[in-house]
Amino acid sequence: MGEILQRRIKRHPILEFEEKETITFYFEGKPLKARSSDTIASALIANGIDIFGWTENGRPRGFFCAIGKCSSCLVVVDGVPNVRACITKVKDGMSVERQIGRGAVWEEKR
Amino acid sequence: MKTELLVVGGGPAGLSGAIAAAKSGVKVLLIDEGLDLGGQLVKQTHKFFGHQGFFASKRGVEIAKILKNRIEDLKVDYMLQTTLVGFYEDAAVAYSREENKTYEIDYDYVLLATGASEKFLVFKNNMLPGVYGAGAVQTLMNQYGVLPGEDFLIIGAGNIGLIVAYQIAQAGGNVRAIVEISNRAGGYEVHANKIKRMGIPILLRHTIVKAIGKDRVKGAVIAKVDDNFKVIKGTEREIVADTICLSVGLQPSIELANQLGVEIVYIPELGGHVPKRDENMRTSKRNVFVAGDLSGIEEATSAMAEGYIAGYTIAQDITRRDLSEKINKYKEELVDLRRGPFGKKIRSGLEKMGIHLPSGGYRTDLQEDFGPSGKLRAIMECHQNIPCNPCEAVCPTNAIDMGGNINGIPHINYDKCVGCMMCVMKCPGLAIFMVQEFDEYSIVGIPYEFEPLPNVGDRVILMSRDGEDVGEGVIQRVIKNRKDKTHVVYVAMEKGLEKVVRHFRVPSFEEDKIVCRCEEVTKKDIEKAIAIGFTDFEELRRYLRIGMGPCGGRTCRLITMGILAKKTGKSIEEISSMNLRPPSIPLPIDSILRGEEK
Repeated sequence: MGEILQRRIKRHPILEFEEKETITFYFEGKPLKARSSDTIASALIANGIDIFGWTENGRPRGFFCAIGKCSSCLVVVDGVPNVRACITKVKDGMSVERQIGRGAVWEEKR
Repeated sequence: MKTELLVVGGGPAGLSGAIAAAKSGVKVLLIDEGLDLGGQLVKQTHKFFGHQGFFASKRGVEIAKILKNRIEDLKVDYMLQTTLVGFYEDAAVAYSREENKTYEIDYDYVLLATGASEKFLVFKNNMLPGVYGAGAVQTLMNQYGVLPGEDFLIIGAGNIGLIVAYQIAQAGGNVRAIVEISNRAGGYEVHANKIKRMGIPILLRHTIVKAIGKDRVKGAVIAKVDDNFKVIKGTEREIVADTICLSVGLQPSIELANQLGVEIVYIPELGGHVPKRDENMRTSKRNVFVAGDLSGIEEATSAMAEGYIAGYTIAQDITRRDLSEKINKYKEELVDLRRGPFGKKIRSGLEKMGIHLPSGGYRTDLQEDFGPSGKLRAIMECHQNIPCNPCEAVCPTNAIDMGGNINGIPHINYDKCVGCMMCVMKCPGLAIFMVQEFDEYSIVGIPYEFEPLPNVGDRVILMSRDGEDVGEGVIQRVIKNRKDKTHVVYVAMEKGLEKVVRHFRVPSFEEDKIVCRCEEVTKKDIEKAIAIGFTDFEELRRYLRIGMGPCGGRTCRLITMGILAKKTGKSIEEISSMNLRPPSIPLPIDSILRGEEK
């Protein structure tokens, strides 16, 4: 806890950011750290994760617009598919998984 | 839920509309998808153009806070993380993500301020992770403090591309280039100038051909284009970048407007499909209004003015009070915002809807006089007719004037300028510099928004308006501006350079050209030593210790002689006096102590 991830902006001439990573969430089962102000997308990118899922044809999918418009960032959150990572806050203990294609209609917790 | 006015979208347009209506006594419910109010203002770290009445010189992030406070003060109901998913015959339906629940909303009037989305661009491998909308990178950096890469390539040199490039640099990223397909940067010259003086290339008549990488971006292929924007074969080249930002325009988010059945027209100048509306922002349906980017891609100040017009007009309908004075005030604002050359597109777009706006009527001539040499004074490099006047407003001695209209080119009266540099700190375009000439040297005061600030006495590399290295200078004064965060850094330099120097950078290891690996002597060190009179190899050796390291000169000797020969005009043979003493390699002292005769 408390470390600053590599992709975090350390110093900014205009803005001040919360400094600490205080939340733990799980990505593909692996614990990762995040700030309480993060969305799922910003937390994943900060942790160096650029692939949010795959299309049905196996093409890697990242995110594109960051404001909830393009639906490129859909992930499975606590078993529920089609969650927009860019406008959903990350929460302590949350489970995030890469979505394949359109996601299963209902993915029971595995 | 029942409300008189439903506002969809909590950006500058929606917030302004909600404020205007609520102030006039209308019951308002505002719905926004995002995590906080402000729309895209929350990621705008640059200072806005315009005038004081419309937040000029304030940064977008601050404007978002001010508007939010007004909403709170007026006790406007709002729902965040909630999406208006559909307009059905008898009600509007909103979905709250937090509650995972839908709400039916019964409304009398609706103001759609749904904004716009970034346009995508078609090129090979364009779906690769690491290809982002420029606005997405801005969101990540400025809202969440995350820089998604190290080396960035920007596609499109409109205002968004230019602003995002500058902000990436502020956040500590490297912008490799801005690629622009047309023959000029479409954004404001002052934004382009900030990029150019940092040495970031703006490659005109270029396009992206392909993103390189398998799982994520590792680079890009760019190429030159011909007059028809077709790639010229053989001009392709690779650029190293891990992030590609597309800033190729915005398109209005018309989905809800279409559901409501309002007339939609296709007007390229306004960004494509837009709802048809009148001067009061009313669509073809009496109770449906639009404002902001949805009604035509423009910028946040005009979005706010449109929001106010819509909000007051709706309030006028509902309360039957005459609010025309307020409505007309904001219409006049829009006239001035769109009067200049950058308003041409929106003017011709609106003309197609039957809305006529005047143009011209402002000063266009540039000031030729740069003031009396020797006096500390402001130099204005603002050459385009932009509706903006904070310099005029802040000047305590009234030395600056726009010539009667906010779109005018600023002129400065040097009899009145006292060198207070307040205009330098306020100018949203960072286009005002301080200059003073002395007998032996000159100083330039540069508006500076980077971390870390240099220290007095630091040696820096001076950069021209085009980002070329033009010499070395010394930091003379650093004026910190804690409130606005546009600091002024004074650099002392050789006389004459004050006419060209507009930026500087701190020299880094990466730019050193090393000649002597052992003693870390650079080519520049050698050239300087020669220039001050060390014109012999043995002298250079003693002065710089070049060739006196552990390698004994094996790496540097010939290169140094080459430089010496070139600088002095002598042949290498002529300067080949050398005295190469033992030992020829470093050896331990105790090996000598334990030495034997053989």
